[in-house]
Amino acid sequence: MSEPDAGNLPAHHRDRQGPALDAQSGWRRLAGRSLWVSGAKSLALVAGAVAGLTRFLLGQDWRAGGIIAACAGAAVLIVAAVLAYDLARLRTTRWRLTPERLELRSGLTTRQHRSIPRDRVRSVDLRADPILRIFGLTVVKVGTGEHAGDHTELTLDPLARNDAETLRRTLLHQDEEREARDGPLAELRWSWIRYAPLSVWTFTASALVLGALYKPLNAIGLKSVTSRAASDLWGWIVEQPLTAVPLLLAVNLTVGALGATLLFAESWGRYRLEHEPGRLRLRRGLLTTRSLTLEVRRLRGVEISEPLLLRLGGGARVKTVATGLGEKAKNETEDAAALAPPLPRDLAWRLAAEVASAGVPGSRVLSGGTALIPHPRAARRRRVVRASLATALLAAAAGVASSLAPWPWVRAWVWLIPVVVPAAGMWGAVEGARNLGHALGARHLVSRKGAVVRQTVALDRKGISGWTITESYFQRRSGLLTVSATTSAGRGHYEVVDVGHETGLELASRAVPGLLEPFLVRGKTVAKQ
Amino acid sequence: MSATMLRPPRNQADPRVIPWWTVQWLLLMAPLAVAAVAAYWIFTERPLWLGAAVAAFAVACVVLALVAPRAYYRVERWEVTGEAVYTRKGWLTHTWRVAPMSRIQRVDTARGPVQRLFGLADVTVTTASSAGAVKIEGLDHEVAAELAERLTAITQATPGDAT
Repeated sequence: MSEPDAGNLPAHHRDRQGPALDAQSGWRRLAGRSLWVSGAKSLALVAGAVAGLTRFLLGQDWRAGGIIAACAGAAVLIVAAVLAYDLARLRTTRWRLTPERLELRSGLTTRQHRSIPRDRVRSVDLRADPILRIFGLTVVKVGTGEHAGDHTELTLDPLARNDAETLRRTLLHQDEEREARDGPLAELRWSWIRYAPLSVWTFTASALVLGALYKPLNAIGLKSVTSRAASDLWGWIVEQPLTAVPLLLAVNLTVGALGATLLFAESWGRYRLEHEPGRLRLRRGLLTTRSLTLEVRRLRGVEISEPLLLRLGGGARVKTVATGLGEKAKNETEDAAALAPPLPRDLAWRLAAEVASAGVPGSRVLSGGTALIPHPRAARRRRVVRASLATALLAAAAGVASSLAPWPWVRAWVWLIPVVVPAAGMWGAVEGARNLGHALGARHLVSRKGAVVRQTVALDRKGISGWTITESYFQRRSGLLTVSATTSAGRGHYEVVDVGHETGLELASRAVPGLLEPFLVRGKTVAKQ
Repeated sequence: MSATMLRPPRNQADPRVIPWWTVQWLLLMAPLAVAAVAAYWIFTERPLWLGAAVAAFAVACVVLALVAPRAYYRVERWEVTGEAVYTRKGWLTHTWRVAPMSRIQRVDTARGPVQRLFGLADVTVTTASSAGAVKIEGLDHEVAAELAERLTAITQATPGDAT
């Protein structure tokens, strides 16, 4: 045995509820109940294997008894193998919390010893899928928050829920009363679920589900069934397009809306956002529960994002602009920056304002939505001209295509292009121009843009790490320019698009005092108001 | 015109950058011109009007290769003050970049093999932002090394965690 101190442990220690504690060194084990979890999860593997095996043996003309015996044998083998692996993993993994460090020893074949200093711990995230939750367990991820994705995280998979909560509080210096006293910044209201279907998911989900189902169905030998169903369906569409197409679209929408609603419920059920000293804690998840921490120190602003459908429905989403935030993790349904589910616009603004001013009490810059200063009319003219040119090009291309294309349906539908494209283009141009805006708050630079997805970003002025100012040939002729604030957080740069030449430069100069000022020259002849 | 403007940065690239860029442009444009002429000579019936067009194209390529570096030399400027690095570039689209000393994380100098023949080097100043790198091109290599050293010294003396 590679771990001498573990071998000496009395047997009953292993079965205790919490991690067994070795009195001498403080090394602890992971929760032994994890075996049940892996046993339960291995059943999924068993199901797949049994299906495959049955199909194969049926092809070989085995009798039912033989098939059942073979399947049972395979099932026992799989479960035993998974349990043996997990047992070995649990027995070789030890962790301990010393006054200075959190340490983890693990590895079946390659031994690893990793440790992180406690004062560098920035986040303690908990995640429990339904099976882990049945057994009262949770996976703990301790991060130093230096950079996302460079494996500075330490994962304890799994701990008993109570131990995980205790560890979280110990590492983040939390006392319970404090947590209880402060009300949450936001909490789920189920009425928000009405915003769930207002996403692209609604239109694509059922196609995705079909695609995802097609492969496994083929794998377990239902290929003839699926292909016959597909060809039947196609035949139906070709024969009666006027009934089939609207019906299919309706089914698609219904399934999509249902899927989006379920996804919302699973992702955002029990959602709760709390403000703890120095950090935000986000809890969510109906089946798989997650608890995420975000340090206020890493926060550089907030973003309110309003995709078209959600905007029409009066909803908005709130995201953080933070440094070192990872990309959307695997098997996660929401990206790491998301702070809240889609929620009513005024609530979104209020939440954004509270988050933006977190850490500095009393400076409610954003509250009520600072009135944004619109951009000059030239910005709209630019967009309209651009859209008209694009339309003209497309119409010309469509004309050429219809005269050249051999298929009759091209000619039947091509007239749609000069009708739909200009309308959509003009709408995009006008809406895009209307959505342009900026404002300078006491702490934040606020900018807004986007026709389809309207994004309003409040960037902490202290988080601005430079300016990039661009002026294209056409912008110069219309007296506009684009001011881009570079920052280490979020997308890395946030633009104030097509702002008036002088307004933009003054804005940048005032947003970060002293940075741009030495490089500006002000005309003496023109009186400034 | 507008009352508030960005003034051009103080310094220009080293004049040797003009031949260096001209060489680069010619490497790109000369094959294009030659290919056009060759294609005309080999694959067509050599009509006169097409010959004139091809000749004009070839001449335009070479003229562009000779003129563009000079134009870029005139617009590309840089400046380093005690507080910030400031550059301007672009001919049709003007781009100004400002990076404050307190946010600079890395200073690199780069010299390609051919660039070395001209005694030139580039200095790249990187901030914590994925979008904030500021590049000063075509400096005398000694000036570049000196500048990098100075920037590193100022950056180290400036407090702040650069994020």
